Amino acid sequence: MAVPGVTHHPLRSRYEVVIAGGGIQGIALAYELALMGVRDIAVVEARWPGAGGTGRNGEMIRSAFASEEWARLFDFSLRRWGELSAELDFNTLFTTAGYVVVATTADEVAMLRDQLPVHDRLGVRSEWLDAADLQELLPAAAPDLLTGGVLQPHAGFAHHDATLWAYARAASRRGVEIHAQAPVEAVDVADGRVRGVIVRGQRISTPVVVNATGAFAREVAAMAGVELPTQRYLLEMIVTESLKPFLRPAVASLALMSYCHQTSRGEFVGGTEFKAANAYDDVVVTLEALRDIASKFVQLFPRIAGACLIRHWSGLVDKSPDLSPVLGPSPDVEGFFLDAGWTYGFMGAPGSARLLARWIVDGQPDPVIAPFGFERFASGKLISEAATVVPTEEAVEETQRDRA
Amino acid sequence: MSKTILCLCHDVTAEDVRRAVAEGYTHPETIKRYTSAFMGPCQGRWCADLVMEAIAEELGRPVSELQPTSGRPPAYPVRMGPLAGRPSDESE
Ligand SMILES: Cc1cc2nc3c(=O)[nH]c(=O)nc-3n(C[C@H](O)[C@H](O)[C@H](O)COP(=O)(O)OP(=O)(O)OC[C@H]3O[C@@H](n4cnc5c(N)ncnc54)[C@H](O)[C@@H]3O)c2cc1C
Ligand code: FES
Repeated sequence: MAVPGVTHHPLRSRYEVVIAGGGIQGIALAYELALMGVRDIAVVEARWPGAGGTGRNGEMIRSAFASEEWARLFDFSLRRWGELSAELDFNTLFTTAGYVVVATTADEVAMLRDQLPVHDRLGVRSEWLDAADLQELLPAAAPDLLTGGVLQPHAGFAHHDATLWAYARAASRRGVEIHAQAPVEAVDVADGRVRGVIVRGQRISTPVVVNATGAFAREVAAMAGVELPTQRYLLEMIVTESLKPFLRPAVASLALMSYCHQTSRGEFVGGTEFKAANAYDDVVVTLEALRDIASKFVQLFPRIAGACLIRHWSGLVDKSPDLSPVLGPSPDVEGFFLDAGWTYGFMGAPGSARLLARWIVDGQPDPVIAPFGFERFASGKLISEAATVVPTEEAVEETQRDRA
Repeated sequence: MSKTILCLCHDVTAEDVRRAVAEGYTHPETIKRYTSAFMGPCQGRWCADLVMEAIAEELGRPVSELQPTSGRPPAYPVRMGPLAGRPSDESE
């Protein structure tokens, strides 16, 4: 139903691998597993592929992060982005218009500058821009917000739906069955091993289940008796009517906690995150977010004050305690794998899918993906990534306290 | 072959809808995303009936059986400036 690659056949009673969730993570993983020669793979999607965060995201792609763990994983992914359209025989509309993270305050400048030696060491391509460089790159931006920034000229954005469809079609051509309107309702675990899943009341036996259900990952993990410490989190975005081109690269502003880009059609697309209590766990849109988005982007690009906003929407992501994805086997339940905790799961998918597929097949993690394993919650080796525009739990709690 | 434009904002033709359905986009929501019909400045106010009819014809089902695409606020376009509590004529 609904998108290319979705099967019309009924579910079979047994698969080698069942992937719960037909977002970019689940579908890209299915493709990579098939590429490695795994057969009898089913993706079971509760609604339709792309119905979750995948079809609602900001489409922005970079690898210039502050921590070594993120920079490595996302740089591997960025390289994969460059290969995808040709490999999948489908244009993902990946555009290397550049991606710049902008700092305004002295603290932000110091934090961003600290990344550069890390990037140098890891071979991540990035460059430092001072205020004058930034004004040249972003002539429409308010100069007072542009103190310094990190630019990746080869990063940028892609089309979220096109990328998903590309993977879905390529996966189905390799024999992956993608089932829509097929929610996992229960996970069958016995003697510490996954035995199967229940989908639409039907029992399917399988030795491997991957939980790639995005904002619902915590619930689906609980079905297997796995306690996943993630939380649903609502993000909102807007798009304007088409405007004369005024912005080439994708931009994230640390001071405004915002990210945006201008599409090839001229629409300005952007979202912000504000330190607000996030009381919603459904896809609603709020006036509070709309005001935040409008005022921050009018501040960043004064010229868009006259532009008409034509759509406002939201989507859910899965936030882990260290804001980093949770990947690999789950503790205690053999055969139950996690592909969860994603807040930057669109840009990360091409890389993580390949490395997670290898982990599932080889039983051993590649060093690039290993730090994202579940054990970090037990060992306390949490990942410290400072260059995201996602508020931490403490920031959210602080605002909740302020409001109370 | 002559072109029948259904969506004026994004130049979506009857042939585009036909191709979308043939490629496997068989729900108004995914056809919207594939062709970008309904997504122009008028947000489908002008083209929705025409496009839905074309989809129904391709699928061989009555329009009344199709699930419409998810509407997005605002109901009418609004300028960013007033939303931000500023005048909208700040532009250049
Ligand atoms: C507004 C917004 C802007 C964003 N901007 C960016 C960005 O610029 N760059 C970036 O990299 N990331 C961005 N993200 C994050 C990104 O969209 C997500 O991290 C990514 O889509 C996660 O993919 P996923 O496949 O894990 O989850 P999803 O796309 O949410 O897919 C999960 C799927 O699982 C299905 N499901 C749920 N429960 C079940 C069940 N029981 N059984 C079967 N299926 C089930 C859902 O229907 C859904 O289709 C943004 C997100 C939002 C909401
Ligand atoms: S005519 Fe189709 S969106 Fe305006």
